[in-house]
Amino acid sequence: MEYLSAHVLTCLVPAFFIAGAIAALLQREAVLKYFGKDAPKWLCYSVASTSGTILAVCSCTILPIFAGIHRRGAGIGPATAFLFAGPAINLLAVVLTARVLGLELGAARIIAAVSISVLIGLIMAAIFDRGSEDEEAASCPSPSASSEFGSERPGYIPPIFVGLLVAILLAATSGLALGPKAAIVSILVLASAWLLNARFTDLEKASFFGETWWLAKRIFPLLLVGTFITGVIGYFLPVELIRIFFGASDFAACFAASLMGALLYMPTLLEVPIVGTMFGYTSGAMAPGPALSLLLAGPSMSLPNMIVIWRIIGSKRASVYISLVILLSTLMGMIYGMAAA
Amino acid sequence: MMKIEVLGTGCAKCKSLAKNVEKAVAEAGVEAEIVKVESLQEIMNRGVMMTPALFIDGEAVAVGRAPSVAEIKGMLKR
Repeated sequence: MEYLSAHVLTCLVPAFFIAGAIAALLQREAVLKYFGKDAPKWLCYSVASTSGTILAVCSCTILPIFAGIHRRGAGIGPATAFLFAGPAINLLAVVLTARVLGLELGAARIIAAVSISVLIGLIMAAIFDRGSEDEEAASCPSPSASSEFGSERPGYIPPIFVGLLVAILLAATSGLALGPKAAIVSILVLASAWLLNARFTDLEKASFFGETWWLAKRIFPLLLVGTFITGVIGYFLPVELIRIFFGASDFAACFAASLMGALLYMPTLLEVPIVGTMFGYTSGAMAPGPALSLLLAGPSMSLPNMIVIWRIIGSKRASVYISLVILLSTLMGMIYGMAAA
Repeated sequence: MMKIEVLGTGCAKCKSLAKNVEKAVAEAGVEAEIVKVESLQEIMNRGVMMTPALFIDGEAVAVGRAPSVAEIKGMLKR
């Protein structure tokens, strides 16, 4: 139950606000233009492997974007890069991982996810891309956006607002003493409240709070119940058994962890307590290597999602993609295990 | 009669958009046909990459977000 202690809440509450602001206030469609046919390749891959942070606030948005990049835009390489990295570097997940499982594993998760996704994309493109997608590249229809977003406001204001919220999160979770911390946090909160009030329309404010509340309402109960259940299962899982399977960062352990992560469906964020309590990473039963492998393969893939991918890109490409995910997640886990030891 | 289309693969956001649309139509008292477009293929054919999306009379009015009931009512009046 220590997962739900106050210090976890202090990190999740600002994170929900950030996710809400990203969903409601940023013009995310702008990112999509980097997935077009004409975008330079290096740019395409960099955006594909990192944009999940802002595009994947809701996991259900991943598959349409994936299908879109694949069929109408940059092709199979960037599409699979996005498909893998999207859920893995989702903002809430990264914040929770860093907070609960430690900064080190959180950082390892981001770095490994981004590098694997680029690797997967390049390999997929090398094997399958013949360069001649016959579909016409239709652009994403943009609704008359200028009417809903305050058009007289300079474009940098919304990113600054999101930046302020990120600063709140960092300050609130920093190791500062309580006094200065409270002072800094309240100054930042006041500043962002002022900016919100001065520079955003009522409609935007309503949609920002609505989005934040919607996310919190959907994710908190799931996280509470999920944490409880994984805690109970973890209590009954014999520690010796976990040690036998996941106790070392060798190939067998990392492979088992990444295979398990790929098959099981894990609701958003639950991979964190699954690794932390159920398999006892926090108590030392599970080694760092398999823990990272599970975190990498887990959220990006599950049986139901494999079936959809299968239908979109066909069996040959899908099986290569799936094997790449499992293999590279295993490999990253082993590397991290060695580095951590 | 207006034709309103809600595009989305059945995720929670898409369902909440569909509910908002029904409510907005009822409150605004306009006559409209509400269609749910759930096939990924069809969504792709529209060039929509971010769901949920809302189309009124074949024109995209919201992509990648679920507008509130009040906002949809405003869109209906145009």
